[in-house]
Amino acid sequence: MVKIGSGDGDKVEAEAAAWAILSTERPLDQSEQQRLDAWLAAGSRNLGAFIRAQAIWSDVDRVVALDQRPQPEAVEPAPSRRWRYYAIAASLLVALVGGGTAYDRLAGRVSTGRTEVRELVLEDGSRVTLNGDSAVQVRYAAGERRLILRRGEASFSVAHDSARPFYVTAGDVTVRAVGTRFSVGMEDEDVEVTVEEGVVSVADDDGVPPRLIHRNEEFVAAPTGSRKAVLEEAEVERRLAWRRGLLIFNGDSLRSASAEVNRYSPVPVIIDDPTLARAEFVGVFRIGEGRAFASAAAQAFNGVVVERPDGLHLMRQQNSPSH
Amino acid sequence: MDHAGRIRWFAREVLPHEPDMRRWLSVRLRGLESCDLDEVVQEAYARIWGAELEKILNPRAYLFVTARHIVGEQLRRSRIVSIELMADLEVLNIVDDDEGAERRLSGQEEIARLHRIIEKLPPKCRQAFRMKKFDELPQREIAARMGVAESTVEKHLAKALRVISKEMNAEPGAAEVRARGEDRFWRWGQGRG
Repeated sequence: MVKIGSGDGDKVEAEAAAWAILSTERPLDQSEQQRLDAWLAAGSRNLGAFIRAQAIWSDVDRVVALDQRPQPEAVEPAPSRRWRYYAIAASLLVALVGGGTAYDRLAGRVSTGRTEVRELVLEDGSRVTLNGDSAVQVRYAAGERRLILRRGEASFSVAHDSARPFYVTAGDVTVRAVGTRFSVGMEDEDVEVTVEEGVVSVADDDGVPPRLIHRNEEFVAAPTGSRKAVLEEAEVERRLAWRRGLLIFNGDSLRSASAEVNRYSPVPVIIDDPTLARAEFVGVFRIGEGRAFASAAAQAFNGVVVERPDGLHLMRQQNSPSH
Repeated sequence: MDHAGRIRWFAREVLPHEPDMRRWLSVRLRGLESCDLDEVVQEAYARIWGAELEKILNPRAYLFVTARHIVGEQLRRSRIVSIELMADLEVLNIVDDDEGAERRLSGQEEIARLHRIIEKLPPKCRQAFRMKKFDELPQREIAARMGVAESTVEKHLAKALRVISKEMNAEPGAAEVRARGEDRFWRWGQGRG
Protein backbone atom coordinates (compact mmCIF):
# COMPACT_ATOMS: atom_id res chain seq x y z
CA MET A 1 0.00 0.00 0.00
CA VAL A 2 1.25 3.42 -0.84
CA LYS A 3 1.16 5.95 1.93
CA ILE A 4 0.96 9.59 1.02
CA GLY A 5 1.09 12.39 3.49
CA SER A 6 1.38 12.47 7.21
CA GLY A 7 -2.25 11.79 8.08
CA ASP A 8 -2.66 14.86 10.26
CA GLY A 9 -4.95 16.65 7.81
CA ASP A 10 -7.75 16.67 10.36
CA LYS A 11 -5.67 18.31 13.08
CA VAL A 12 -4.52 20.95 10.64
CA GLU A 13 -8.14 21.64 9.67
CA ALA A 14 -9.17 22.17 13.28
CA GLU A 15 -6.30 24.57 13.96
CA ALA A 16 -7.00 26.40 10.73
CA ALA A 17 -10.66 26.89 11.69
CA ALA A 18 -9.66 28.36 15.04
CA TRP A 19 -7.18 30.77 13.47
CA ALA A 20 -9.58 31.74 10.71
CA ILE A 21 -12.21 32.76 13.28
CA LEU A 22 -9.74 34.67 15.44
CA SER A 23 -8.16 36.58 12.61
CA THR A 24 -11.40 37.35 10.80
CA GLU A 25 -13.50 38.40 13.73
CA ARG A 26 -11.12 40.69 15.55
CA PRO A 27 -7.59 42.07 15.38
CA LEU A 28 -5.03 39.67 16.82
CA ASP A 29 -2.89 40.80 19.70
CA GLN A 30 0.84 40.64 19.38
CA SER A 31 1.38 37.24 20.92
CA GLU A 32 -1.46 35.74 18.92
CA GLN A 33 -0.01 37.19 15.72
CA GLN A 34 3.34 35.64 16.55
CA ARG A 35 1.79 32.26 17.20
CA LEU A 36 -0.17 32.46 13.95
CA ASP A 37 2.95 33.39 12.01
CA ALA A 38 4.85 30.51 13.56
CA TRP A 39 2.04 28.11 12.80
CA LEU A 40 1.84 29.27 9.18
CA ALA A 41 5.60 29.01 8.82
CA ALA A 42 5.53 25.43 10.04
CA GLY A 43 4.23 24.10 6.74
CA SER A 44 2.54 25.20 3.56
CA ARG A 45 -0.47 22.97 4.29
CA ASN A 46 -1.23 25.09 7.35
CA LEU A 47 -1.41 28.11 5.09
CA GLY A 48 -3.64 26.29 2.61
CA ALA A 49 -6.03 25.12 5.32
CA PHE A 50 -6.09 28.63 6.80
CA ILE A 51 -6.98 30.20 3.42
CA ARG A 52 -9.59 27.57 2.80
CA ALA A 53 -11.19 28.04 6.24
CA GLN A 54 -11.42 31.79 5.71
CA ALA A 55 -12.93 31.27 2.26
CA ILE A 56 -15.59 28.94 3.68
CA TRP A 57 -16.34 31.34 6.51
CA SER A 58 -16.79 34.22 4.08
CA ASP A 59 -18.86 32.08 1.74
CA VAL A 60 -21.39 31.51 4.53
CA ASP A 61 -22.23 35.21 4.31
CA ARG A 62 -23.11 34.82 0.65
CA VAL A 63 -25.50 31.94 1.36
CA VAL A 64 -27.06 33.77 4.30
CA ALA A 65 -27.60 36.78 2.02
CA LEU A 66 -29.31 34.51 -0.52
CA ASP A 67 -31.53 33.22 2.25
CA GLN A 68 -32.59 36.71 3.28
CA ARG A 69 -33.14 38.04 -0.22
CA PRO A 70 -36.64 38.04 -1.71
CA GLN A 71 -37.19 35.24 -4.21
CA PRO A 72 -35.94 36.17 -7.69
CA GLU A 73 -39.27 35.21 -9.28
CA ALA A 74 -40.93 38.04 -7.41
CA VAL A 75 -38.64 40.63 -8.91
CA GLU A 76 -39.64 42.02 -12.24
CA PRO A 77 -37.26 44.05 -14.33
CA ALA A 78 -38.09 47.72 -14.11
CA PRO A 79 -39.05 49.24 -17.47
CA SER A 80 -36.12 51.60 -17.34
CA ARG A 81 -33.80 48.64 -17.36
CA ARG A 82 -35.21 47.04 -20.43
CA TRP A 83 -32.80 48.81 -22.68
CA ARG A 84 -30.06 47.32 -20.65
CA TYR A 85 -31.33 43.90 -21.56
CA TYR A 86 -31.27 44.85 -25.19
CA ALA A 87 -27.76 46.07 -24.71
CA ILE A 88 -26.79 42.81 -23.03
CA ALA A 89 -28.51 40.86 -25.76
CA ALA A 90 -26.69 42.83 -28.40
CA SER A 91 -23.35 42.36 -26.71
CA LEU A 92 -24.02 38.65 -26.35
CA LEU A 93 -24.71 38.44 -30.02
CA VAL A 94 -21.48 40.18 -30.79
CA ALA A 95 -19.59 38.04 -28.32
CA LEU A 96 -20.97 34.70 -29.30
CA VAL A 97 -21.56 34.98 -32.97
CA GLY A 98 -18.29 36.04 -34.50
CA GLY A 99 -19.32 36.04 -38.10
CA GLY A 100 -22.39 35.31 -40.11
CA THR A 101 -25.04 36.65 -37.79
CA ALA A 102 -28.49 36.04 -39.06
CA TYR A 103 -30.43 38.36 -36.84
CA ASP A 104 -33.24 40.08 -38.58
CA ARG A 105 -34.31 42.62 -36.04
CA LEU A 106 -37.62 43.51 -37.67
CA ALA A 107 -38.80 39.98 -38.03
CA GLY A 108 -37.33 39.06 -34.64
CA ARG A 109 -35.78 36.02 -36.20
CA VAL A 110 -32.52 34.64 -34.90
CA SER A 111 -30.71 31.67 -36.35
CA THR A 112 -27.46 29.90 -35.75
CA GLY A 113 -25.01 28.16 -38.02
CA ARG A 114 -23.79 24.62 -37.57
CA THR A 115 -20.92 25.36 -35.28
CA GLU A 116 -22.42 27.90 -32.93
CA VAL A 117 -24.52 27.97 -29.81
CA ARG A 118 -25.94 31.33 -28.95
CA GLU A 119 -27.62 32.87 -25.95
CA LEU A 120 -30.16 35.67 -26.32
CA VAL A 121 -31.49 37.82 -23.55
CA LEU A 122 -34.95 39.07 -24.34
CA GLU A 123 -36.44 42.36 -23.24
CA ASP A 124 -38.18 40.85 -20.21
CA GLY A 125 -35.03 39.15 -18.99
CA SER A 126 -35.97 35.71 -20.29
CA ARG A 127 -33.12 33.83 -21.90
CA VAL A 128 -33.06 31.72 -25.00
CA THR A 129 -30.13 29.51 -25.80
CA LEU A 130 -30.13 28.41 -29.39
CA ASN A 131 -28.40 25.18 -30.34
CA GLY A 132 -26.44 24.85 -33.59
CA ASP A 133 -28.34 25.01 -36.87
CA SER A 134 -31.49 26.33 -35.21
CA ALA A 135 -33.83 29.25 -35.76
CA VAL A 136 -36.29 30.99 -33.51
CA GLN A 137 -38.63 33.91 -34.06
CA VAL A 138 -39.42 36.31 -31.26
CA ARG A 139 -42.90 37.83 -31.16
CA TYR A 140 -43.51 39.81 -28.04
CA ALA A 141 -46.82 41.63 -27.65
CA ALA A 142 -48.48 43.49 -24.81
CA GLY A 143 -50.54 40.51 -23.64
CA GLU A 144 -48.22 37.60 -24.43
CA ARG A 145 -44.70 36.58 -25.17
CA ARG A 146 -44.44 34.17 -28.04
CA LEU A 147 -41.46 32.44 -29.61
CA ILE A 148 -41.67 30.27 -32.66
CA LEU A 149 -39.07 27.58 -33.09
CA ARG A 150 -38.55 27.22 -36.82
CA ARG A 151 -35.96 24.52 -36.70
CA GLY A 152 -33.43 22.87 -34.42
CA GLU A 153 -33.42 23.18 -30.66
CA ALA A 154 -33.63 25.92 -28.09
CA SER A 155 -33.71 26.09 -24.35
CA PHE A 156 -35.67 28.74 -22.47
CA SER A 157 -35.29 30.30 -19.10
CA VAL A 158 -38.44 32.27 -18.57
CA ALA A 159 -38.75 35.44 -16.50
CA HIS A 160 -41.86 35.33 -14.40
CA ASP A 161 -44.69 37.57 -15.59
CA SER A 162 -48.14 36.07 -15.05
CA ALA A 163 -49.76 38.94 -16.93
CA ARG A 164 -47.89 37.99 -20.10
CA PRO A 165 -47.85 34.24 -20.64
CA PHE A 166 -44.85 32.80 -22.38
CA TYR A 167 -45.50 30.52 -25.35
CA VAL A 168 -43.18 28.51 -27.54
CA THR A 169 -44.62 27.12 -30.73
CA ALA A 170 -42.85 24.34 -32.63
CA GLY A 171 -44.80 22.92 -35.54
CA ASP A 172 -48.19 21.92 -34.16
CA VAL A 173 -47.03 21.93 -30.57
CA THR A 174 -47.48 24.90 -28.27
CA VAL A 175 -45.79 25.03 -24.90
CA ARG A 176 -47.01 27.48 -22.27
CA ALA A 177 -44.79 28.38 -19.34
CA VAL A 178 -44.84 30.73 -16.42
CA GLY A 179 -41.44 31.27 -14.86
CA THR A 180 -39.67 28.05 -15.65
CA ARG A 181 -36.84 26.47 -17.61
CA PHE A 182 -37.37 24.07 -20.46
CA SER A 183 -36.16 23.24 -23.92
CA VAL A 184 -37.87 22.45 -27.18
CA GLY A 185 -36.27 20.57 -30.04
CA MET A 186 -37.44 19.62 -33.51
CA GLU A 187 -36.00 16.66 -35.31
CA ASP A 188 -37.57 15.42 -38.52
CA GLU A 189 -41.24 15.47 -37.61
CA ASP A 190 -40.82 15.04 -33.88
CA VAL A 191 -41.06 17.82 -31.35
CA GLU A 192 -39.45 17.16 -28.00
CA VAL A 193 -40.09 19.19 -24.85
CA THR A 194 -37.84 18.72 -21.81
CA VAL A 195 -38.58 20.51 -18.55
CA GLU A 196 -35.72 21.42 -16.28
CA GLU A 197 -37.56 23.47 -13.69
CA GLY A 198 -41.20 24.28 -12.98
CA VAL A 199 -44.14 23.13 -15.06
CA VAL A 200 -45.22 23.76 -18.63
CA SER A 201 -48.44 22.96 -20.38
CA VAL A 202 -48.17 21.41 -23.82
CA ALA A 203 -50.93 21.54 -26.40
CA ASP A 204 -50.61 19.27 -29.36
CA ASP A 205 -53.18 20.48 -31.88
CA ASP A 206 -54.81 17.04 -31.88
CA GLY A 207 -57.85 18.02 -29.83
CA VAL A 208 -56.56 16.43 -26.65
CA PRO A 209 -56.58 18.85 -23.68
CA PRO A 210 -53.16 20.31 -22.88
CA ARG A 211 -50.89 18.09 -20.84
CA LEU A 212 -48.80 19.25 -17.92
CA ILE A 213 -45.13 18.41 -18.13
CA HIS A 214 -43.18 18.71 -14.92
CA ARG A 215 -39.59 19.05 -13.91
CA ASN A 216 -37.39 16.26 -15.27
CA GLU A 217 -40.04 15.04 -17.67
CA GLU A 218 -40.05 15.01 -21.40
CA PHE A 219 -42.85 15.09 -23.88
CA VAL A 220 -42.45 13.91 -27.44
CA ALA A 221 -44.99 14.75 -30.10
CA ALA A 222 -44.47 12.47 -33.08
CA PRO A 223 -46.63 11.67 -36.12
CA THR A 224 -47.14 8.22 -34.63
CA GLY A 225 -48.51 9.66 -31.39
CA SER A 226 -47.38 11.54 -28.33
CA ARG A 227 -45.72 10.23 -25.22
CA LYS A 228 -44.47 11.50 -21.92
CA ALA A 229 -41.52 10.10 -20.01
CA VAL A 230 -39.78 10.75 -16.71
CA LEU A 231 -36.09 11.46 -16.97
CA GLU A 232 -33.36 11.28 -14.41
CA GLU A 233 -32.00 14.65 -13.47
CA ALA A 234 -28.58 13.64 -14.75
CA GLU A 235 -30.12 12.77 -18.08
CA VAL A 236 -31.76 16.19 -18.36
CA GLU A 237 -28.46 17.81 -17.52
CA ARG A 238 -26.71 15.69 -20.11
CA ARG A 239 -29.17 16.55 -22.83
CA LEU A 240 -28.81 20.23 -22.20
CA ALA A 241 -25.03 20.23 -21.91
CA TRP A 242 -24.78 21.80 -25.36
CA ARG A 243 -25.85 25.07 -23.78
CA ARG A 244 -22.61 25.12 -21.86
CA GLY A 245 -20.67 24.33 -25.00
CA LEU A 246 -20.24 20.71 -23.93
CA LEU A 247 -21.29 17.37 -25.30
CA ILE A 248 -21.72 14.70 -22.69
CA PHE A 249 -21.96 11.07 -23.69
CA ASN A 250 -22.93 8.51 -21.15
CA GLY A 251 -23.20 5.10 -22.73
CA ASP A 252 -24.23 6.45 -26.12
CA SER A 253 -23.15 4.46 -29.13
CA LEU A 254 -20.17 5.84 -31.00
CA ARG A 255 -22.47 6.28 -33.97
CA SER A 256 -24.88 8.61 -32.25
CA ALA A 257 -22.09 10.33 -30.34
CA SER A 258 -20.20 11.06 -33.55
CA ALA A 259 -23.39 12.32 -35.21
CA GLU A 260 -23.76 14.78 -32.37
CA VAL A 261 -20.11 15.79 -32.56
CA ASN A 262 -20.36 16.25 -36.32
CA ARG A 263 -23.28 18.54 -35.87
CA TYR A 264 -20.84 21.18 -34.67
CA SER A 265 -17.52 20.10 -36.08
CA PRO A 266 -16.14 21.44 -39.36
CA VAL A 267 -14.27 18.14 -39.88
CA PRO A 268 -16.60 15.13 -39.63
CA VAL A 269 -15.68 12.00 -37.71
CA ILE A 270 -16.50 8.91 -39.78
CA ILE A 271 -16.81 5.38 -38.40
CA ASP A 272 -16.96 2.73 -41.10
CA ASP A 273 -16.80 -0.39 -38.96
CA PRO A 274 -20.39 -1.13 -37.84
CA THR A 275 -19.31 -3.04 -34.73
CA LEU A 276 -17.21 -0.11 -33.64
CA ALA A 277 -20.08 2.27 -34.35
CA ARG A 278 -22.24 0.26 -31.95
CA ALA A 279 -19.74 0.40 -29.12
CA GLU A 280 -20.89 2.40 -26.12
CA PHE A 281 -18.98 5.44 -25.19
CA VAL A 282 -18.56 7.76 -22.22
CA GLY A 283 -16.88 11.12 -22.37
CA VAL A 284 -17.14 14.88 -22.20
CA PHE A 285 -16.09 17.15 -25.04
CA ARG A 286 -16.27 20.74 -25.99
CA ILE A 287 -18.45 21.54 -28.94
CA GLY A 288 -16.43 21.81 -32.12
CA GLU A 289 -13.67 19.49 -30.97
CA GLY A 290 -14.15 16.67 -33.44
CA ARG A 291 -10.48 15.86 -33.35
CA ALA A 292 -10.36 15.50 -29.58
CA PHE A 293 -13.40 13.26 -29.73
CA ALA A 294 -11.88 11.04 -32.41
CA SER A 295 -8.61 10.60 -30.59
CA ALA A 296 -10.29 9.95 -27.22
CA ALA A 297 -12.55 7.35 -28.84
CA ALA A 298 -9.55 5.78 -30.53
CA GLN A 299 -7.80 5.57 -27.19
CA ALA A 300 -10.79 4.06 -25.45
CA PHE A 301 -11.32 1.38 -28.08
CA ASN A 302 -7.73 0.77 -28.99
CA GLY A 303 -8.34 2.19 -32.42
CA VAL A 304 -6.62 4.66 -34.70
CA VAL A 305 -7.64 7.90 -36.37
CA VAL A 306 -6.81 8.18 -40.06
CA GLU A 307 -7.20 11.57 -41.65
CA ARG A 308 -8.62 11.54 -45.16
CA PRO A 309 -9.93 14.34 -47.34
CA ASP A 310 -13.54 13.59 -46.36
CA GLY A 311 -12.91 13.58 -42.62
CA LEU A 312 -11.39 11.75 -39.69
CA HIS A 313 -11.84 8.00 -40.01
CA LEU A 314 -11.97 6.12 -36.76
CA MET A 315 -11.05 2.47 -37.17
CA ARG A 316 -9.95 -0.52 -35.20
CA GLN A 317 -6.30 -1.25 -34.92
CA GLN A 318 -5.36 -4.49 -36.62
CA ASN A 319 -3.98 -7.22 -34.36
CA SER A 320 -5.16 -5.32 -31.38
CA PRO A 321 -4.58 -7.36 -28.21
CA SER A 322 -7.96 -6.49 -26.76
CA HIS A 323 -10.05 -7.71 -29.67
CA MET B 1 -6.57 42.59 -4.31
CA ASP B 2 -6.27 42.92 -0.56
CA HIS B 3 -6.39 39.98 1.82
CA ALA B 4 -10.19 40.02 2.12
CA GLY B 5 -10.51 40.36 -1.66
CA ARG B 6 -8.25 37.36 -2.19
CA ILE B 7 -10.27 35.33 0.31
CA ARG B 8 -13.46 36.25 -1.55
CA TRP B 9 -11.77 35.23 -4.79
CA PHE B 10 -11.09 31.82 -3.28
CA ALA B 11 -14.67 31.56 -2.04
CA ARG B 12 -15.98 32.44 -5.48
CA GLU B 13 -13.51 30.76 -7.83
CA VAL B 14 -12.01 27.78 -6.02
CA LEU B 15 -14.40 26.61 -3.32
CA PRO B 16 -17.23 25.64 -5.71
CA HIS B 17 -14.90 23.34 -7.62
CA GLU B 18 -13.35 21.65 -4.64
CA PRO B 19 -15.93 18.84 -4.30
CA ASP B 20 -15.48 17.99 -7.98
CA MET B 21 -11.76 18.04 -7.60
CA ARG B 22 -11.89 15.74 -4.57
CA ARG B 23 -14.08 13.28 -6.40
CA TRP B 24 -11.98 13.47 -9.52
CA LEU B 25 -8.86 12.80 -7.50
CA SER B 26 -10.32 10.08 -5.34
CA VAL B 27 -11.26 8.10 -8.43
CA ARG B 28 -7.71 8.28 -9.65
CA LEU B 29 -6.20 7.40 -6.32
CA ARG B 30 -8.31 4.33 -5.73
CA GLY B 31 -5.33 2.09 -5.10
CA LEU B 32 -3.83 4.43 -2.56
CA GLU B 33 -5.82 3.77 0.53
CA SER B 34 -4.11 6.12 2.87
CA CYS B 35 -3.73 8.98 0.48
CA ASP B 36 -5.08 11.93 2.37
CA LEU B 37 -7.19 14.07 0.11
CA ASP B 38 -7.43 16.78 2.75
CA GLU B 39 -3.70 17.22 2.61
CA VAL B 40 -3.67 17.49 -1.15
CA VAL B 41 -6.43 20.08 -0.95
CA GLN B 42 -4.59 22.07 1.72
CA GLU B 43 -1.40 22.07 -0.30
CA ALA B 44 -3.29 23.10 -3.43
CA TYR B 45 -4.87 26.09 -1.67
CA ALA B 46 -1.46 27.16 -0.38
CA ARG B 47 0.05 27.05 -3.87
CA ILE B 48 -2.80 28.91 -5.49
CA TRP B 49 -2.60 31.52 -2.72
CA GLY B 50 0.98 32.11 -3.80
CA ALA B 51 -0.02 32.69 -7.41
CA GLU B 52 -1.08 35.91 -9.06
CA LEU B 53 -4.79 35.37 -8.83
CA GLU B 54 -5.67 37.99 -11.44
CA LYS B 55 -3.79 36.01 -14.03
CA ILE B 56 -5.61 32.75 -13.44
CA LEU B 57 -8.04 32.58 -16.32
CA ASN B 58 -9.62 29.28 -15.48
CA PRO B 59 -9.53 28.67 -11.72
CA ARG B 60 -11.23 25.28 -12.04
CA ALA B 61 -8.62 23.91 -14.38
CA TYR B 62 -5.89 25.59 -12.32
CA LEU B 63 -7.12 23.85 -9.18
CA PHE B 64 -7.23 20.47 -10.89
CA VAL B 65 -3.80 20.83 -12.43
CA THR B 66 -2.31 22.02 -9.16
CA ALA B 67 -3.78 19.04 -7.33
CA ARG B 68 -2.50 16.71 -10.00
CA HIS B 69 1.02 18.11 -9.65
CA ILE B 70 0.94 17.69 -5.91
CA VAL B 71 -0.14 14.07 -6.15
CA GLY B 72 2.46 13.48 -8.82
CA GLU B 73 5.21 14.87 -6.63
CA GLN B 74 4.13 12.78 -3.68
CA LEU B 75 3.93 9.66 -5.79
CA ARG B 76 7.39 10.19 -7.21
CA ARG B 77 8.69 10.59 -3.69
CA SER B 78 7.09 7.37 -2.57
CA ARG B 79 8.89 5.46 -5.37
CA ILE B 80 6.71 2.41 -5.30
CA VAL B 81 3.95 3.43 -7.61
CA SER B 82 2.80 1.45 -10.56
CA ILE B 83 3.88 2.74 -13.92
CA GLU B 84 0.28 2.82 -15.07
CA LEU B 85 -0.74 5.21 -12.33
CA MET B 86 2.06 7.59 -13.17
CA ALA B 87 1.18 7.43 -16.83
CA ASP B 88 -2.43 8.03 -15.94
CA LEU B 89 -1.56 11.13 -14.02
CA GLU B 90 0.35 12.46 -16.99
CA VAL B 91 -2.49 12.12 -19.44
CA LEU B 92 -5.40 13.23 -17.30
CA ASN B 93 -7.84 14.99 -19.47
CA ILE B 94 -9.29 18.01 -17.75
CA VAL B 95 -12.39 19.52 -19.14
CA ASP B 96 -12.00 23.21 -18.71
CA ASP B 97 -15.37 24.70 -18.59
CA ASP B 98 -17.05 28.02 -18.86
CA GLU B 99 -17.34 29.84 -15.62
CA GLY B 100 -20.35 28.89 -13.58
CA ALA B 101 -21.20 25.85 -15.58
CA GLU B 102 -20.39 23.45 -12.78
CA ARG B 103 -22.12 25.37 -10.05
CA ARG B 104 -25.07 23.20 -10.11
CA LEU B 105 -26.22 23.81 -6.58
CA SER B 106 -28.93 26.41 -6.89
CA GLY B 107 -29.29 29.19 -4.38
CA GLN B 108 -32.19 27.31 -2.81
CA GLU B 109 -30.09 24.16 -2.49
CA GLU B 110 -27.25 26.08 -0.93
CA ILE B 111 -29.60 27.62 1.59
CA ALA B 112 -31.10 24.23 2.38
CA ARG B 113 -27.64 22.78 2.80
CA LEU B 114 -26.61 25.52 5.20
CA HIS B 115 -29.72 25.00 7.31
CA ARG B 116 -29.11 21.27 7.32
CA ILE B 117 -25.62 21.84 8.61
CA ILE B 118 -26.80 24.31 11.24
CA GLU B 119 -29.21 21.69 12.56
CA LYS B 120 -26.28 19.37 13.17
CA LEU B 121 -24.41 21.85 15.34
CA PRO B 122 -24.45 21.46 19.13
CA PRO B 123 -27.03 23.90 20.65
CA LYS B 124 -24.62 26.52 22.05
CA CYS B 125 -22.54 26.41 18.93
CA ARG B 126 -25.64 26.83 16.77
CA GLN B 127 -26.80 29.75 18.88
CA ALA B 128 -23.47 31.54 18.54
CA PHE B 129 -23.33 30.86 14.81
CA ARG B 130 -26.83 32.21 14.22
CA MET B 131 -26.14 35.36 16.18
CA LYS B 132 -22.90 35.88 14.29
CA LYS B 133 -23.97 35.15 10.72
CA PHE B 134 -27.69 35.77 10.64
CA ASP B 135 -28.10 38.53 13.22
CA GLU B 136 -24.62 39.93 12.49
CA LEU B 137 -23.99 40.68 16.14
CA PRO B 138 -20.52 41.63 17.32
CA GLN B 139 -18.63 39.01 19.23
CA ARG B 140 -18.88 40.94 22.46
CA GLU B 141 -22.66 41.17 22.17
CA ILE B 142 -22.90 37.42 21.52
CA ALA B 143 -20.78 36.73 24.56
CA ALA B 144 -22.96 39.00 26.70
CA ARG B 145 -26.21 37.45 25.50
CA MET B 146 -24.95 33.92 26.02
CA GLY B 147 -23.33 34.82 29.33
CA VAL B 148 -19.94 33.37 28.35
CA ALA B 149 -16.46 34.71 27.65
CA GLU B 150 -15.62 36.00 24.18
CA SER B 151 -13.03 33.28 23.83
CA THR B 152 -15.82 30.72 24.34
CA VAL B 153 -17.79 32.34 21.54
CA GLU B 154 -14.70 32.04 19.35
CA LYS B 155 -14.49 28.35 20.16
CA HIS B 156 -18.13 27.85 19.25
CA LEU B 157 -17.66 29.66 15.96
CA ALA B 158 -14.52 27.70 15.16
CA LYS B 159 -16.43 24.51 15.84
CA ALA B 160 -19.22 25.65 13.50
CA LEU B 161 -16.71 26.46 10.78
CA ARG B 162 -15.09 23.07 11.24
CA VAL B 163 -18.45 21.29 10.83
CA ILE B 164 -19.35 23.33 7.73
CA SER B 165 -16.00 22.59 6.19
CA LYS B 166 -16.40 18.86 6.86
CA GLU B 167 -19.93 18.78 5.46
CA MET B 168 -18.74 20.49 2.33
CA ASN B 169 -16.35 17.65 1.68
CA ALA B 170 -19.06 15.10 2.17
CA GLU B 171 -21.66 16.73 -0.06
CA PRO B 172 -21.85 15.88 -3.71
CA GLY B 173 -21.19 19.39 -4.85
CA ALA B 174 -21.75 19.62 -8.55
CA ALA B 175 -21.30 18.20 -11.98
CA GLU B 176 -22.33 14.69 -11.03
CA VAL B 177 -22.88 13.85 -14.64
CA ARG B 178 -19.50 14.84 -15.74
CA ALA B 179 -17.79 13.27 -12.79
CA ARG B 180 -19.47 10.02 -13.68
CA GLY B 181 -18.66 10.45 -17.33
CA GLU B 182 -15.02 11.11 -16.65
CA ASP B 183 -14.90 8.28 -14.22
CA ARG B 184 -16.23 5.67 -16.58
CA PHE B 185 -14.34 6.97 -19.53
CA TRP B 186 -11.29 6.88 -17.42
CA ARG B 187 -11.69 3.23 -16.46
CA TRP B 188 -12.19 2.29 -20.03
CA GLY B 189 -9.07 4.02 -21.16
CA GLN B 190 -7.19 2.32 -18.38
CA GLY B 191 -8.53 -1.12 -19.09
CA ARG B 192 -7.54 -1.05 -22.68
CA GLY B 193 -4.06 0.35 -22.18
